[in-house]
Amino acid sequence: MSTVTSSDRTVVVTDEPSALAGLQDGMTVAIGGFANSGHPMSLVREVIRRRPKDLTIVGAATSGLEVDMLIAAGCVKKVISPYVGGETIVGIGPAFRRCVENGEIDVWEIDEAMYYCALNAAAQRLPFLPWRALVGTSFPEVNPDLVLFDDPVAGEPLLAVPAVSPDIALLHAGAADPYGNIQHVGSGFGDRAIARASDHVIVSVEKVISNEELRRAPEKTSIPLVDAVVRAPFGAHPFSSVGWYLEDVPLLKEYVAAAEVWRAHDDRSAVDAFLDTYIHQPEDHMDYLQRIGARRIFGLNEF
Amino acid sequence: MADFTTKELMACIMGRDLEDGLGVPVGANLPVPRAAVLMSHLMRGPNQLVLLSWTRANLVDVPELRPFEFITDWRAAQWGESYWAHDDGFLNMKARANWIFFVGGIQIDQYGNSNLLGIGEDYKRLKFRGPGGVGTGNMAAFTNRYYLYSQTHTPRIFVPKVDYVTALGWGEGPGTRERWKIPGGGPRYCYTPLCVMDFEPETKRMRLKSTNPGVSVDEVVAATGFELVVPDDVPETPAPSDEELEVLRTRVDPTGVLRS
Repeated sequence: MSTVTSSDRTVVVTDEPSALAGLQDGMTVAIGGFANSGHPMSLVREVIRRRPKDLTIVGAATSGLEVDMLIAAGCVKKVISPYVGGETIVGIGPAFRRCVENGEIDVWEIDEAMYYCALNAAAQRLPFLPWRALVGTSFPEVNPDLVLFDDPVAGEPLLAVPAVSPDIALLHAGAADPYGNIQHVGSGFGDRAIARASDHVIVSVEKVISNEELRRAPEKTSIPLVDAVVRAPFGAHPFSSVGWYLEDVPLLKEYVAAAEVWRAHDDRSAVDAFLDTYIHQPEDHMDYLQRIGARRIFGLNEF
Repeated sequence: MADFTTKELMACIMGRDLEDGLGVPVGANLPVPRAAVLMSHLMRGPNQLVLLSWTRANLVDVPELRPFEFITDWRAAQWGESYWAHDDGFLNMKARANWIFFVGGIQIDQYGNSNLLGIGEDYKRLKFRGPGGVGTGNMAAFTNRYYLYSQTHTPRIFVPKVDYVTALGWGEGPGTRERWKIPGGGPRYCYTPLCVMDFEPETKRMRLKSTNPGVSVDEVVAATGFELVVPDDVPETPAPSDEELEVLRTRVDPTGVLRS
């Protein structure tokens, strides 16, 4: 009698270039995390290194400067996110602001509730999901894909929010087992919703743990069986990784200062230098960390 | 009377309107609303639902609450009773009826509509791209009441009509919210460094409620870009009490963010 064992199970741990080998121009790519935390930056840097064109980027419900960097690097045609900025570091992403004001990128205008409608509709294989709030606002004017309709049950005005189905989702979490079971520390923000809506889910993690270790606390598994796991310690740097390390605020400010020169003075030299130094020149994530330096990296611990 | 800054005054006044039992989100980078919410919680709101950095937090016994710079700061987990994934939050709009929220704007109009999207008539070529509505429009629709708040009071912010509505206040006046079947109750007050404003019940137009100490009615009118409803009698905004200032300075704002 022939049977299989755990050793026959497919291990999905890989590196950034292999995980992103299927990336093509014009794809819709979702990026998890929230504000200044939990963005899969080793994967985002690999996306930028591949110099794709015309991506539609689905940011987080509050996306941060990772989306701004993709815009600054010329990879983006359209942004789907209710916010692109850096909180107290910068209220509005400089590249985002510049390119929206100049009409160089499109924004699919939504608020955070509609953002989850769009993802949940994709996950549920619905053409749209309705939402009650935001009728009477300017959202349907600035985003003609939002359809105001009278609901067929009670006849009340609602907004139909079309499904958004990312081709690829890039997420970051604390740990994963070799088979792609993900365990976030904390809430995981909106990462589950992104994973459910996406065709292909790639997650970078601080640490790969054994399936045995993961099974000690299965209730902590936030996303089961993703397509690819990338082992990337400090992979969210320069953002924080919940339960692991804090933001590298000086590096984020360095980016903002460089991108702000481009926005205000139409001079790309500083932002190009930033992208070269921190993204294009490092061969891989370990080379990136080496450039940042051990003292700086290990100085970011939470407490 | 004790010395206090305008921000301290605003935090105390805003906190006084928040009763026990409300759901009170604590934002990270709006120091005045943050302080207002925490003051109401520590002084008379033991049963408030305090939402802090993705947790529902038990803070009443915490001696000193240092501010976090970023909304995602997981160090708040030390007080957390439960956490919430962001997408889960949108499965329960019933609960939000009992929350309060502070909504800012790059423009706020006479009916309390606010704009965080941008300035300029041509949406494809905005003169200024704002941060976006984020979650304000949703909160404005579902909460029984919410508050407008601006740290700047100028005719550029307080305009007759916003270029874009990201959070619906009273719309075009009486009847707008009813027409759209909006469940929430609309904006109650608008707080600025100069004054407190409410809305005239019959017209839903913004009305001067009180002027902050040292500010005249004429100054407020001059700083407002629309015709403000001004009653015959405008009282002065009541000053913070010694007890409020002590709680504020020792427990809520020990690093003096509101004093700078």
